[in-house]
Amino acid sequence: MTAEKKPGYDIRSILEEMKDEYWQGLSEAEEAGEEQQEYITFVLGGETFAFETVYATEVIRVPKLVKIPRVQELIAGVFNLRGEITAAMDIRPLLGLPQPAISATGRIIVVKSERFATGILTEKVEGVTPLPVNGLEPVITSLGGAPREYIRGQLNLDGRLVMMLDIAKLMNAPEIVVEHNP
Amino acid sequence: MPNRNKYLKIFFKEAQEHLEAVQKGLLTLEKEPANRALLRDLMRNAHTLKGSAKLVGLEEISAVAHQMEDLFEEVERGRKEADAGVIDLLLKGSDAIARLIAAQINNEEPPFDVDKFVLAFGRGEITPDLLERKAEEQKGGGEETVRANVKTLDNLINRLGELIINKKRFEDKIVRLKGLCGRTADPVFAPALQGFQRDLEEDVLYLDYLVQELHGDAMALRMLPLHTITDGFERMVRDLSREQGKLIDFRVTGAQTEMDRVLLEALKPMILHILRNAVDHGIEPLEERLVAGKPPKGGIEISARLEGGGVRLDIRDDGRGIDPQMVKEAALRKGLIGREDAAAMDDSDALYLILEEGFSTRDFITDTSGRGIGMGVVKKNMERMKGHLTIASEIGRFTEFTLQLPLTLSVMEALLVLCGGECYAVPLSYVQETIKIRSEDITTVGGKEAISLRGVTVPLVSLSALLGLPDGKTLSKSGKITALVVALRGQCLACTVDASLESSEIVVKNLGNQLKNVTFVFGATILGNGDPALILNVPDIFARAEGGASTGFRTMIEERQGKREKGHILVVDDSITTRTMERSILANHGYRVEIAVSGEDALEKVAGKRFDLVISDVMMPGISGFELTRRLRTMDDYRDVPVIIVSSLATDEDKRQAMDSGAQAYIVKGTFDQGTLLNTVKAFIG
Repeated sequence: MTAEKKPGYDIRSILEEMKDEYWQGLSEAEEAGEEQQEYITFVLGGETFAFETVYATEVIRVPKLVKIPRVQELIAGVFNLRGEITAAMDIRPLLGLPQPAISATGRIIVVKSERFATGILTEKVEGVTPLPVNGLEPVITSLGGAPREYIRGQLNLDGRLVMMLDIAKLMNAPEIVVEHNP
Repeated sequence: MPNRNKYLKIFFKEAQEHLEAVQKGLLTLEKEPANRALLRDLMRNAHTLKGSAKLVGLEEISAVAHQMEDLFEEVERGRKEADAGVIDLLLKGSDAIARLIAAQINNEEPPFDVDKFVLAFGRGEITPDLLERKAEEQKGGGEETVRANVKTLDNLINRLGELIINKKRFEDKIVRLKGLCGRTADPVFAPALQGFQRDLEEDVLYLDYLVQELHGDAMALRMLPLHTITDGFERMVRDLSREQGKLIDFRVTGAQTEMDRVLLEALKPMILHILRNAVDHGIEPLEERLVAGKPPKGGIEISARLEGGGVRLDIRDDGRGIDPQMVKEAALRKGLIGREDAAAMDDSDALYLILEEGFSTRDFITDTSGRGIGMGVVKKNMERMKGHLTIASEIGRFTEFTLQLPLTLSVMEALLVLCGGECYAVPLSYVQETIKIRSEDITTVGGKEAISLRGVTVPLVSLSALLGLPDGKTLSKSGKITALVVALRGQCLACTVDASLESSEIVVKNLGNQLKNVTFVFGATILGNGDPALILNVPDIFARAEGGASTGFRTMIEERQGKREKGHILVVDDSITTRTMERSILANHGYRVEIAVSGEDALEKVAGKRFDLVISDVMMPGISGFELTRRLRTMDDYRDVPVIIVSSLATDEDKRQAMDSGAQAYIVKGTFDQGTLLNTVKAFIG
């Protein structure tokens, strides 16, 4: 008799266990995902920088940039991104970096915020790769105030330094929006 | 309004609390009809709901809350009893608000006809059918319609723009093909190639025809009749005139005239402002009209019609008109013009002084008028919309604003010019002509270059220098230079360019949020080769070219303001929606803001600190904003600190009370937008 009752009970508890395992598996997957997020790496002022790929929508060759009259130097110009007029920014001065000429390897990384899409001029895009961000070191103190604002820290990958850009903060920086009346 | 969604969320939460309080309170009131304190609480709940709803633009909710507040007031004054009927009515009112909020949250239409509900509430009899969903209106008409997502519509237009550009590329290729045809004399190949070219030409012609038709259809989708914005005005004029005790007959003719939705949206605040001015300044009080032998009812009329490929809107009132002499004096006082300018200026020109930034004939700042910024904004917006504004008036008889606008902004005729190595588009509506000039044609007037154009002296400027382009190209060797003559409100300006290319129909694209506030440029188009070309904003070019006094003056002021640290402001309001909104607007513009939730709280806060400005609500639990102002005035540290009253009370009596208590400015919540508050604050503490 008891044997007849048990199966139902067992099935339910098995289902419960399966559900628990499933959820646990999910949260583990999420945690693992956070540790192994993918980053786009690129070169600015001769140094390697990176930010999370989720912010980047595409990487394109540098098209013709049309200068906008009398705006901050950071706005390098506008270009046609499939019919949408989009700004290209040279953020190197903002990060206190030198500005070597953008050569044939130069690329624009298109990033999207809630308010607008914009392009970041880079000297070269290296690729997309997972980075061990657990090893992120705090920004070196010799870096000035403004650059430190937008750099979360650096990673030392077998002697190679990768600076982690705080792209979300950069996209909200007032400096990148034209807000004036000459 | 920035982040309206954020404020809406706050409002919904706040409204929820007020509604719960009202419902609970009403049930208690039914048992204790003599509970005055409870009654006052309820009144304040309704009042706050009314104000906050108006603030976030939910006029319908505000209207119902207004009715409730009025009814509470009547009970409070003893004109009505809090009997079962009244309580029931009030409960229905709060239910109605709850339903309107629910609909708003779910992005639905109001579940019942709010106007009818409000009228019925006023009569005190709400029948169940009023609470039903609106009957399907406009069943007739014969034409079926579908609802379309605005975003989809915009995408459609965008893609069509791309298609037009693509078609242009085909046309360019045909020209190249023609060139190739001429290069070969092969007896077999040449005729075949020519035949192919002709076929292709025909195909592209047909494609052109289809694209034009399609574009026309798509544009029609974006067009909306004017009444979609004017319907709300009637109510506004009625309320405002009632508040001021004026009798006004408001009419709209030609409300079926259709315009681009984007233009309509931009037009709405301008018309609102002109109407407010008409009610506030234009139409005289009843006694004055009777003395002047005018009909007791003042008239305000908006008439719209198609004219010259665009829309013409006349907004006319039969009020006291604008006195050019008074305008001149006020402009003199504000330092907008010099004494000689004033003497030389004729009366019709003087009227346009009211459009200058900073112009105001009143010293006390009220929300509806007297801020001296509103008409300046109208002028700016008109320029942005490529429209023209003319003012006509006769003292004692009428004032008429005429707005001439294009039907749409998404496609326009433009002249393409080359300047500093870049291609720019100049809207053809501003272009008068292009001319070739020799160096000997150039004279100097007061140290500035000018040319003589059919006997008229026209200033000459270098476009590239004006735009700050690297190469301010000097005279070419041939000695001839190309100049583009542009006109704005009868003034001409000659701009040297490298070359004038062609005029063409261009698709206007906006520059997006990142570059929204760029000057000299109001958009861009995409050329046949896929590169962008900027569209120049001619009024900005005029402003820069006029340079000298005006521009220098403005930059000087801005520099001075930039140096000074922004002030410390105390915001006093019991409504969390208002508080949050005011705080975020001010903080976003660099002010330090502190919050007080009541008058008493404010008095505590000012005791230890020195604020540069106080912004206060009127109706709050405890002491009112007026009382707070009076008390501040008795304190040594706060005798001269500016106080701005922000309230949903809008009668002259309230404004007078504000003034008497010692406040410097009065803003009504319904008309409260970021610009109003900021400009008022700026006017006092920069």
